[in-house]
Amino acid sequence: MSFLFAALTVAMLLCAFLAFRARHLIVSALWLAGCSAILSILMYLLGAYWIAVIELSVGAGLVTVLFVFAISIAGDESAEFRSSIPRPIALIISLVSIILLGFMTISSLIALPPATEATFSEVLWQQRGLDMLVQSGLLFAAVVGILGLLSEAKVPVEEKKTAPAKELQAGRPVVKPATAAAREAKA
Amino acid sequence: MIQALILLTMGLPWLGGLAVWLTTNKHPRAQHTLAVVFAVATGSAALLLLPYASATPAIVIPLGGLFGDLTFTPDGLSVFLAIIATVVGSLAVIFSVNYMHGDKQLGRYYELVLLFIGAMAGLALTGSLLFLFVFWEVTAFCSFALIAFNNDDPKAVAGGIKALIITSLGGVGLLSGALIIYAQTGSYQIAAFLERAETLPKEVLALVAFGFLIAAAAKSAQFPFQTWLPDAMEAPTPVSALIHAATMVNAGVYLLARFFPAFEGVAGWTTAVMIVGLLSALLAGLMALVATDLKRALAYSTVSQLGYMVYAIGAGGVYASQFHLLSHAVFKALLFLAAGAVIHGVGTRDMRQMGGLGSRMPFTRTVFVIGALALAGIPIFNGFWSKELILEAGLHEGSLWAYGVAFFCAGLTALYTLRMVYLVFFGKPRSHLHAHDAQPAMKVSLGLLALGSVTTWLLAGPLSELLKSTLPFHEFHELRTGGMIQEVITQPATLAALAVIVAGGLLWWQRQRLTGLTRMLQGLARMATNSFGFEAINRGVIRVTQSTAEALRVTQTGLLSWNVAGIAIGLIVVLILLAWGK
Amino acid sequence: MTTLQIAVIGVLGLIGIGLYGLLIARNLIKVIVALQVLVKGALLALVAAGLASGKLNLGQSLAVMVIVVDTVVAVIGLALALQVKRRMGTLDIKDLSTLKK
Repeated sequence: MSFLFAALTVAMLLCAFLAFRARHLIVSALWLAGCSAILSILMYLLGAYWIAVIELSVGAGLVTVLFVFAISIAGDESAEFRSSIPRPIALIISLVSIILLGFMTISSLIALPPATEATFSEVLWQQRGLDMLVQSGLLFAAVVGILGLLSEAKVPVEEKKTAPAKELQAGRPVVKPATAAAREAKA
Repeated sequence: MIQALILLTMGLPWLGGLAVWLTTNKHPRAQHTLAVVFAVATGSAALLLLPYASATPAIVIPLGGLFGDLTFTPDGLSVFLAIIATVVGSLAVIFSVNYMHGDKQLGRYYELVLLFIGAMAGLALTGSLLFLFVFWEVTAFCSFALIAFNNDDPKAVAGGIKALIITSLGGVGLLSGALIIYAQTGSYQIAAFLERAETLPKEVLALVAFGFLIAAAAKSAQFPFQTWLPDAMEAPTPVSALIHAATMVNAGVYLLARFFPAFEGVAGWTTAVMIVGLLSALLAGLMALVATDLKRALAYSTVSQLGYMVYAIGAGGVYASQFHLLSHAVFKALLFLAAGAVIHGVGTRDMRQMGGLGSRMPFTRTVFVIGALALAGIPIFNGFWSKELILEAGLHEGSLWAYGVAFFCAGLTALYTLRMVYLVFFGKPRSHLHAHDAQPAMKVSLGLLALGSVTTWLLAGPLSELLKSTLPFHEFHELRTGGMIQEVITQPATLAALAVIVAGGLLWWQRQRLTGLTRMLQGLARMATNSFGFEAINRGVIRVTQSTAEALRVTQTGLLSWNVAGIAIGLIVVLILLAWGK
Repeated sequence: MTTLQIAVIGVLGLIGIGLYGLLIARNLIKVIVALQVLVKGALLALVAAGLASGKLNLGQSLAVMVIVVDTVVAVIGLALALQVKRRMGTLDIKDLSTLKK
């Protein structure tokens, strides 16, 4: 059991790493789906059945479909860029933060015996009722997002370098000496 | 009934603003009518509040634990300030019918003015510190937007931004004071704080007291924040009369008066308040003496008179300060509106180009002179009585040197007022200006205010009664109008003050013979013209801020990766702190 | 080692990879992928915390919230990326920055 769990964890981390390392975006999205699927198995093994099912359907299913859809429209830019932050610095930052997190969690980790707790649906609908309300509000944001994904409005590709400069000129207050003087006299 | 009236006092102007907005700029006549109707209705609603004044909250709206209750308490101070705001507001709106005639963006003007009137009434009536701050900032915003109303004029925009920055700085003092009070008493209610102020730790109370003093000084354009008010004179003149003379700048005085019983015992607070008031009165009086712009001269005199009120509060004369606030609101609104009529008539603000206008605009001259006499403190006009009460309060409670300075400022006031009147209306015309007298709607406002300048001192007794019966935490002596007259007339100090005022007047009269004296004071005059170096300090602050911002631009790359790195480093810092605590 | 401890190590691994990805990525869609990995770490952490405190159902309820929010974030993020691609013709975040120019 413990061995299986450990193996699955390693596999999940590997998927996550490969999702990030993959050259093609579409491959990246597929590795992410794999990571998500293994995560749901882990959750199932931990006893969180509900969330495992939701994660499998939403995380591994819906989100992957969205990614694939978006990538197929946006086109697969496979070219690797040099990152704007030096890689060692990024590595140090992320390592330091997880080491600190680990230092604070693992040392104090003791599994309590399961307390007598209300059933999942009771907790979800009664204790966390407000969350559900917020989530229904979030659906509208999702609708906006879908509209953004689907909108096919033809927008001319702007020239990258000149666009900001133009905006700046337009944003600057235009001073009209003649009217200003007239107004001043009146005020 | 009382609830409805309070809601009307605040809601009507906002509804009016909405109505003006919906009318759009295509129908200027309808916009004028709507604004006047709503403003006058607001003023009437506020006046009707008078008989219902009481110390208990009339409206309590619970807003949960975080924000406390939104309460409206129509006690004496609140109703008094709300009435000034709405009545002077409605007169300014009536005046605007002529003054803003033909302006392209009438809608924006009236919306902001009406928004301001509502917010000012809310500021006066609310009993919750948090909402006091909210309304405080709304008025600051309206002030900014109206100063910068002519937004194609860079000077107006600069003046607006200056006012916004300085008053917001004061707002920080108010907010931090309110939050400290909340942390200490667990409530935002002003009444609860005043009741328990004695029990709070001394240092905390001192922090709150000086935070509020900063807020009040910034809002009322007191030393060392006085520089924004003269620059605010780029606003249309009715706005200057309403916001920068009669109402918003009084909010600081109101704040000090409201919290006086709580801070009275704080060591050094009353002295600090007195010094702030006196320095403002003195410096602004000197600057008014050398100003050449009619509106700026009036602005300096506003700062000076507000300094008087602040001084009165420092000396313990809360009633005297409120009484002077009433007189000042009336006569200064009158002066500003009359100045607006002059500027509207001749098309310039420069007093050096005016002169001899009196014969061509007799009505404006008459009302301006009435306002000026009230400002100078000539008997029978309202400014005389309230100024005498302030000086008396200073003589009884404050120290003698403070009284001396205030005394000197009374003479200074008379001097610069006379100079202003003479330069504008008398003497020989210094340039060929086309002039026309005030128009009908202007005459209505000016006439009513002139009437007020002669008569509001008769309200001394009722005002005292109102404040005494509804403010449980303040101490007021019983004062009847008849008693006040007797008290003021029989005081020897009154005669001395009158002598100083007359001396100030004579000084202007005999200025030709005193060339030696004026030459001696040349240096002082030059300093006053440069506003005693405060503008230079302002410019320095701006330069430092800008160069710091420019230097810090390097950190803002706009690159997502670096932004994420910033977040992650913040996370690491938090984690280290947490691990440390373990 | 108990499964709980292994799960926490999994959480740390996911967060580390997600954070590193977020720092390094220059393709906008890659950024969203990294964000997804980071949030998966948070999901597993919620479940593990529920287990550790004996309130698994509460942990699951909170995780549901996270999943919903995360999905909405993915949808909006991808929509934004698409619009950016349409308007600017690139997904490289270095080209998208207009400050400092």
